[in-house]
Amino acid sequence: MDYTNLRRQIISMKKSLFDQGYLDEQFNQLEELQDDSSPNFVDEVVALFFKDSSRLLTNIEQALEKYPQDFYRLDSLVYQFKGSGSSIGALRMKNECSMFKAHCNDRNLEGYRTLDDSSSIPASHSLLEQLHLIPWLTQMPPVTPEDEEGACHSEAEAGDIFSCKHKHQIKGPVST
Amino acid sequence: MAGAAAERKVIRVLLVEDEEIHRVLARALLRSAVGGVELDEAGTGAEAVRRVRDGGAGAYDLIITDGKMPVMDGHEIRAMGVTTPIVGLSSDTLPPDVDTFIKAGADDFTPKPLSKEKLVRILAKFNLA
Repeated sequence: MDYTNLRRQIISMKKSLFDQGYLDEQFNQLEELQDDSSPNFVDEVVALFFKDSSRLLTNIEQALEKYPQDFYRLDSLVYQFKGSGSSIGALRMKNECSMFKAHCNDRNLEGYRTLDDSSSIPASHSLLEQLHLIPWLTQMPPVTPEDEEGACHSEAEAGDIFSCKHKHQIKGPVST
Repeated sequence: MAGAAAERKVIRVLLVEDEEIHRVLARALLRSAVGGVELDEAGTGAEAVRRVRDGGAGAYDLIITDGKMPVMDGHEIRAMGVTTPIVGLSSDTLPPDVDTFIKAGADDFTPKPLSKEKLVRILAKFNLA
């Protein structure tokens, strides 16, 4: 299997997440903490994030539906969500959470984006699912200078890898 | 407190945090960034107080605590008679949020997420590095 193109797309996707402000330096810190004694550290932390965030998103949506005036409940849920996201460097999502919390503090969610908005918390969270692909980089052959030069910097290509993952139901790295 | 730590040559830190992701991150940071630190963990403010009381005087050199937690918030630990240095750790970082920790008796505050740089700074501040 030719990993070169796959590697390029994953690298491009990761760069795009940084360039568009979805990720910050904290994600690099996670990668620096990964070593021989914790070879799957990034994957573990990302998995923990998605385990927490899926539950919290559901709870937030239910709270908005059933208890729209319970701002303390909403604030507590978003507090957890923000903290969890900050652990993996989810910058844009963290900022969205801050804005949501500010509206909770004002006890008024009018004017805040709906949860369906493309810039909302769930939308930012959805885009971060691409992070599941990054651990694959450590299981592929090493990067060559040609790989680095050939990495595409366009958002469209970064999006392609995400679509490809779902289309082909890729479960994990395939050994040659 | 710092003198006792120097004689023991192992620094004991109690992390009070109910969310696993933050505990995993703290463990990794302490393992890789700082040597000679033992980390204990508590999931609530109440459990933290219990650990401190059960461990006796000087059980811990430092407590790093989240704010909002089930059963008992981290803000309430000092009020329970704990004299160990306390650092608040929270993703709520506006001035009123920091003030809440300091007025509740915390000695310092650092925003989430914990990082190598923040940890080194905190340990140095309390002469534990």
